[in-house]
Amino acid sequence: RSFTSQTDGEARVSRVLREKFPRAAAIRVVDISGGCGSMYEIHIESEEFREKRMVQQHQMVNEALSEEIKSMHGLRIFTSTPKP
Amino acid sequence: MSGVVRAAWRLGAAAVRGRAGRPLSQTAGEGGGATAEGSGGSGSRDAIERLVREHPVVVFMKGSPEQPLCGFSNAVVQILRLHGVEDYRAHDVLQDPDLRQGIKNYSNWPTIPQVYLNGEFVGGCDILLQMHQNGDLVEELKKLGIRSALLDAEKDQDKK
Repeated sequence: RSFTSQTDGEARVSRVLREKFPRAAAIRVVDISGGCGSMYEIHIESEEFREKRMVQQHQMVNEALSEEIKSMHGLRIFTSTPKP
Repeated sequence: MSGVVRAAWRLGAAAVRGRAGRPLSQTAGEGGGATAEGSGGSGSRDAIERLVREHPVVVFMKGSPEQPLCGFSNAVVQILRLHGVEDYRAHDVLQDPDLRQGIKNYSNWPTIPQVYLNGEFVGGCDILLQMHQNGDLVEELKKLGIRSALLDAEKDQDKK
């Protein structure tokens, strides 16, 4: 798989995250189901996570992707805040 | 990630690939979905409230600690084991569709496994892993009166 290409699923999930987290410094979505769209790994760095407990940060991502999650088998979430 | 957890991860991941799983949306219909709450069934808020308060450490997972049936559930079991936490309540959601949906409604969290410390939802596998890596898990266990085995392991290392 070429490093510059992105699956449709990755593109869609990225787009939803960019809309729901406008202040995100970095968003990375990786299909870890071999391109099947059934499992994703999400990395997102944003000011919107500052001062929030990790479970709250992950909950924000869950809610942002509530529609997309319905067709997933699983997902991994890694949230962080930009260095001040 | 330590070698043990990484090895466990690979085992668990192989188990996930070998199984036909259901998309997360399909579990919504189990046990009557929203009506499972408040009906007194195993998926009701009351029943789950009782379960999460049963023990300082309660885990809702796929399979059992002796035989996890999902890579993420396995990771939780392995992390707890690393800290010497072997005495906890584990509930296999694959055995009970009402519980499987009910626990997701209760925590407003779409995935399994779910870890509860002192009745409070802490997160899933990713969060537990990050807590393990940044030292938060040792602190949280200490608050429950549980001394992590890793503290003793560190002490041994200092002596060398």
